[in-house]
Amino acid sequence: MSEGVVLEGRALVKRFGPATALAGVGLRVQRGESVAIMGPSGSGKSTLLHCLAGIMKPDEGEVTLLGQRVDTMRERERSALRRTKFGFLFQFGQLLPELPAVENVALPLMLGGVPRGVAVNQAMAWFGPLGLAGMESRRPGELSGGQAQRVAIARALVTGPAVVFADEPTGALDQATGQATMDLLVEATRGNGASLVLVTHDREVARWCDGLVEVRDGLVVSGTATAGVPR
Amino acid sequence: MNTLRLSWRLLRGGGARGLVGAGLTLAAVAVSTALLLFAVGMNVAFEARADREAWRNPVAAQGTAAVAVQSARPEYVGERIISLVEIAALRPGVAPPPGLARVPAPGEVWMSPALAALARELPRDELSGRFPAGPVRIIGDAGLVHRDELVAVVGRAADDPAMVPPAPSLDRPLNMIPPTPVAGFAGEHGELASGYRILALIATVLVVVPLLVFGGAAARLTVARRDQRLAALRLVGATPGQVVAMTVAEAVVVAGAGALAGLVVYAAAVPLLAHIPIGGGGWFAGDLWPGVLLVAGVLLAVPLLVGLSAAAGLRQVVVSPLGVARRQTPPGMRAIRLVVTLAVLAAAPVVGGIGYGAFVIMLGLGFLSINLAGPWVVGLIGRITTATARGPARLLAGRRLVDDPRAAWRTVSGVALTGFVAGFLGLLSPSGGLMGVRPAGELRLEVPAREVAAVAKAADARLATAGVPATVVVSGPGKDQVDPREKSPAKASEKGTGKAAARLLTAKLERDDPATVDRARTALAGLSPGHSATSPADDGREGGMLLNDVRTGTIVVLTVSFLVAVASAGITAASSILDRRQTYALLRLAGTPLSVLDRARRAETLIPLTVMGGGSVLAGVVCGLPIMAGAVSVTGAVVLVGCVVLGFAGVIGAGALTRPLLRSVTANPAPRPD
Ligand SMILES: Nc1ncnc2c1ncn2[C@@H]1O[C@H](COP(=O)(O)OP(=O)(O)O)[C@@H](O)[C@H]1O
Ligand SMILES: [Mg+2]
Repeated sequence: MSEGVVLEGRALVKRFGPATALAGVGLRVQRGESVAIMGPSGSGKSTLLHCLAGIMKPDEGEVTLLGQRVDTMRERERSALRRTKFGFLFQFGQLLPELPAVENVALPLMLGGVPRGVAVNQAMAWFGPLGLAGMESRRPGELSGGQAQRVAIARALVTGPAVVFADEPTGALDQATGQATMDLLVEATRGNGASLVLVTHDREVARWCDGLVEVRDGLVVSGTATAGVPR
Repeated sequence: MNTLRLSWRLLRGGGARGLVGAGLTLAAVAVSTALLLFAVGMNVAFEARADREAWRNPVAAQGTAAVAVQSARPEYVGERIISLVEIAALRPGVAPPPGLARVPAPGEVWMSPALAALARELPRDELSGRFPAGPVRIIGDAGLVHRDELVAVVGRAADDPAMVPPAPSLDRPLNMIPPTPVAGFAGEHGELASGYRILALIATVLVVVPLLVFGGAAARLTVARRDQRLAALRLVGATPGQVVAMTVAEAVVVAGAGALAGLVVYAAAVPLLAHIPIGGGGWFAGDLWPGVLLVAGVLLAVPLLVGLSAAAGLRQVVVSPLGVARRQTPPGMRAIRLVVTLAVLAAAPVVGGIGYGAFVIMLGLGFLSINLAGPWVVGLIGRITTATARGPARLLAGRRLVDDPRAAWRTVSGVALTGFVAGFLGLLSPSGGLMGVRPAGELRLEVPAREVAAVAKAADARLATAGVPATVVVSGPGKDQVDPREKSPAKASEKGTGKAAARLLTAKLERDDPATVDRARTALAGLSPGHSATSPADDGREGGMLLNDVRTGTIVVLTVSFLVAVASAGITAASSILDRRQTYALLRLAGTPLSVLDRARRAETLIPLTVMGGGSVLAGVVCGLPIMAGAVSVTGAVVLVGCVVLGFAGVIGAGALTRPLLRSVTANPAPRPD
């Protein structure tokens, strides 16, 4: 295992009944690196992401974060890991509709035990740089899709995670807004020193990332840079 | 029909979770319908009892010629009451009272089955010796309040001294009906029976209002699950009419099935309910059956109400498709709700004093006003909770209360309304001690003043023959008959002047075990025509029974309310999880411990429950004040505290029961739109 490796999955297998979603996938993410995962629908991209993020346990293979086995942890530990070391970004739905934007961002901090006032102040600091000044007390229902995803980016990064996982985060946005949002996401994770694992359909977006793996039928068919099978 | 097909597809398209939701609605409607039928059946049953008992309350013949003379008074055996009716036909061929094959001939005895059995069981000198000898005929069910009732009808000759109408008197006890010339045996509803019917009506209001709220919550449950999908339909261009028709059709179909299930549940429960003792015994199963028309009415009204409630819940989606899809805040509720509630509660004690009708209406209004103020207060509590929250669980709970106070109110409204019932009835609930201890071994018999010496001697002799050691004394004026020349009979009794036409004989028994007392009663029977020997303990039996019945009724009402409250807490807790499954799943996915979600859920319920539960117990006490008449009982307070504790435990329990659902909904947190 090399110095800079943050997250690594080896020979991951995941089956859903008779169907095999992952058939022995490997993937390696360096510190601060962004890796795009591409592939047709149903090829196992989300499943791979969930296994890496400790959301699912793979049937075979291992996942390590900074040299520590993730796949053998119990749910309580994985839950704590997700809360402290990872950030998440999905197509939609990760913001709580009844909380104002700033409290949505502050919530992960509060879950980690940061006092409310401190958490809210830290959360506030994200709004300006992400172009969200003035949106702090709006609720998700009062934000546009792009604005909501930017709040979600702040929410994913606010705890200073080691890795951010994003599963088609711009799937519900139009092309221009989507690319602008993606740009912000890649910049913000880089600026924060976090690694990024990004599932996307957009080749343009994938090109901004440091690495790219293509998945088909649960297998990595091509990998670049440091990701996936040896080149 | 196109709309129906579409709604069916929508229902099935909801998948397993959609069917869980529909199943919950169905169950909720079934419970509501069964309880509603019980509430209706209860009133019908008391009316049926009053009808069957009416013949024992003679209506004096006016204008028309009297065909018979009828009197009634209580007799006692052990601690039980016997309704004794004496009838003298004035001419042949008179239609008999219900349950009797003919008008009893002089000396003929008719008994209810329970009394006949008791008379066979007890020695002759304890019970049957009080009635004329000869074969006993059996009174049919048509003339009985309930199967265990003790009733005796004795035929008399028209010139029997027992059948001579007395002078009018003001202070005769309610249960003593002097010989009255009657034109027939239709009679009228007795005062006690009418009292029971009013109590039943109050109980109905107390049960039906929470039921309606519960039913409405169940109806909205269908809508809540469909908000998103329907808003989507609106976005793609379905007309408001189509959306409403589809949802209402679905709600009505599910509610119709639920109502039928409720009917089955009620029918199955009737044999059990018939055992609830009121008025000294259980019920004929037929009494509790509301009849085809009322049942049909309930079966039609329930789906209709559910449909209306669903349509009301949909209004927002229809008005603005974006309103739900984008989850904008609904227009705020105004403080006017609270003002109306306080006004109603302030007026309650005043208006309640006017009369029973006004009182029942006031009670219903007080109830509804709590429901009106509920969401507003919950919203206020939410803002306070949010402002003071330090940790995430409280913040989530507070924001949720502010976001949708109506939903939070639905979870706790059942218990809050039950709190109102408990507050209303709890302090009222009488304890047996209220009646005091009265001697059972002191038998008093009213005797015409002229004959008092002779009767006293005869009584002495009879008691000696019966082997009952006792002393007989003459004590004061009678309470039944008063000299008609005396203007104020009450004053006459007070002064104990010799003008009264009747005197009391008191036999002080040396032992007061039931067998001895019954032997003495039997020995004294017939000594003073038209009167029975009764003890002070006997005189308190009817009141004691009434208090017992109020207590039984309180327990029944509170049980029903609690069933509704806990069921509605459980159902709303489950539906709130189903509604928010995506949010919960994503929170867990991001590493939120299940315990934080659970604590938030608990706080979301318990904070408003504490405030609203306490508030409505107080409101109930305020509304109950006018009929409490200063008689606050200890048992009442205990019942009240018990209710509050059980209410909290029930709601927490219902919330805990839905934990597995939360776990399963969030177990596979992969986000997928649905
Ligand atoms: N929870 C699940 N249960 C059963 N099958 C699943 C589940 N999640 C994913 N799958 C199956 O695994 C395969 C890969 O799914 P997924 O990783 O979601 O694909 P992608 O994200 O690339 O579109 C698909 O065939 C999908 O049907
Ligand atoms: Mg996917």
